[in-house]
Amino acid sequence: MLKTYTFHVTGTHCAACKILIEDILKEEDAVKNVQVNLKKETVLIEIDSEKSPEELARILTEKIKQNGYILSVEKKIIEKENKNVIWQAIPIGLIFLILFFLLQKSGILNLGIGGKTTPVTAFIVGLIASVSSCLAIVGGLVLSLSAKISQDNISDTKTFILFHAGRLFSFALLGGILGLIGDSIGINFTLTAILGLLASTVMLLLGLNLVGVFSKNKITLHSGIFQKINSVFRKIEHKTLTPLIIGFATFFLPCGFTQSMQITALSSGSFISGLLIMLSFALGTLPMLALLSFGSASFAQSKHAPLFFKSAGVVVIGLGMFALLAGLAGLGIINPLFNI
Amino acid sequence: MNKTVSIIITLGLVIGIGIIFFGDNFKKNTNINEVQENQNIEIKNGIQYITINAKGGYSPRVTSAKAGIPTKLIVATSGSYDCSVSLVIRSIDFQKILPQTGETEIDIGTKKVGEKLEGICGMGMYNFLINFN
Repeated sequence: MLKTYTFHVTGTHCAACKILIEDILKEEDAVKNVQVNLKKETVLIEIDSEKSPEELARILTEKIKQNGYILSVEKKIIEKENKNVIWQAIPIGLIFLILFFLLQKSGILNLGIGGKTTPVTAFIVGLIASVSSCLAIVGGLVLSLSAKISQDNISDTKTFILFHAGRLFSFALLGGILGLIGDSIGINFTLTAILGLLASTVMLLLGLNLVGVFSKNKITLHSGIFQKINSVFRKIEHKTLTPLIIGFATFFLPCGFTQSMQITALSSGSFISGLLIMLSFALGTLPMLALLSFGSASFAQSKHAPLFFKSAGVVVIGLGMFALLAGLAGLGIINPLFNI
Repeated sequence: MNKTVSIIITLGLVIGIGIIFFGDNFKKNTNINEVQENQNIEIKNGIQYITINAKGGYSPRVTSAKAGIPTKLIVATSGSYDCSVSLVIRSIDFQKILPQTGETEIDIGTKKVGEKLEGICGMGMYNFLINFN
């Protein structure tokens, strides 16, 4: 006999959640119809079953639990996210931005490393690069993606390991190729600049998302473009290949340090020496980037998660704007506004 | 944390960022510019050589050079690994990743009075300007 129940649902933080929950639950034979109401955070289910609503909630929760959603008969009293969190997050984010830009200004990072570049110097250059202005693009991208992924409750550790492995592997491989062919791939300025713009746009969007600017949209956008984008993003997140590809793409992101290492690999004359230089460089950048991604994951599970996501959002927006303006200036589209 | 306090702190921090980014623009109009002027220019055999150091940015940031004579730009690097090695000068279609240590000579031809030459690093956060007059 067909019955209709309304359950409360928690964990629906994005527009795509509606589609995801509906898709998963509709796969159940007994379920005839599912309607998620994001605004009320309820799920209307038409089901052919004699089980009690409590039992149904438990069974159906099993299906969607891994995606972070929980169905319940009674409305779960979720700790209301403190609206003032954003007012704590903005200063925290800004303090990090100031420290970062002061570090760039201080000139500490400009220590000269003379002589021939060996894998050891490449490693040190990597360490420096990971806290330099390159962090604005590569680190900002890593932070925004990591925070977003942690927020979406996807098996984040696996994703991050794949990203870092993909990054190390492609740096080593491409470094080797550079050494072998001795010709410039990946050193096309316009291409890297465009990739940089793309990365900074992604950062800005994810940053706004983390801060929660878009969270209100889940009320109004039922099948809007944003929801589509979000659902595409969610699908992409699930793929194993994506973190690998993003790790690969960081080779081409605009970063002076990466580029000068590429040149060194280029003139190194052999596959092995090019490989060693780029691999050591990538290893040098690893501690900072790993800290950003795994740090996000551990913060995401703590009680400070909302504050962390919003602060990270502020930082990412700041870095994204910096990278975007710098990238546009680098392409000659706008006049350079600053000299950091 | 109190919301008002937060807003005040935020404003303070925003001003701080403003100073970090644009503070130099006020300084450069005063003495620094004048001291550096002409120190990086040398005229040999009728050719004007302008030297710009590239390491953690370009210095001097602003150079006043003579117009009307053949000019070469020398970009000097010494153990530079940062963005400033990936130099772009759009007006003469120059794009190159400079050696980590060394001098790169770039022929920029003869410029007219009032012309400018602007160099920027690949990522766009460092730049330099040469005014011809």
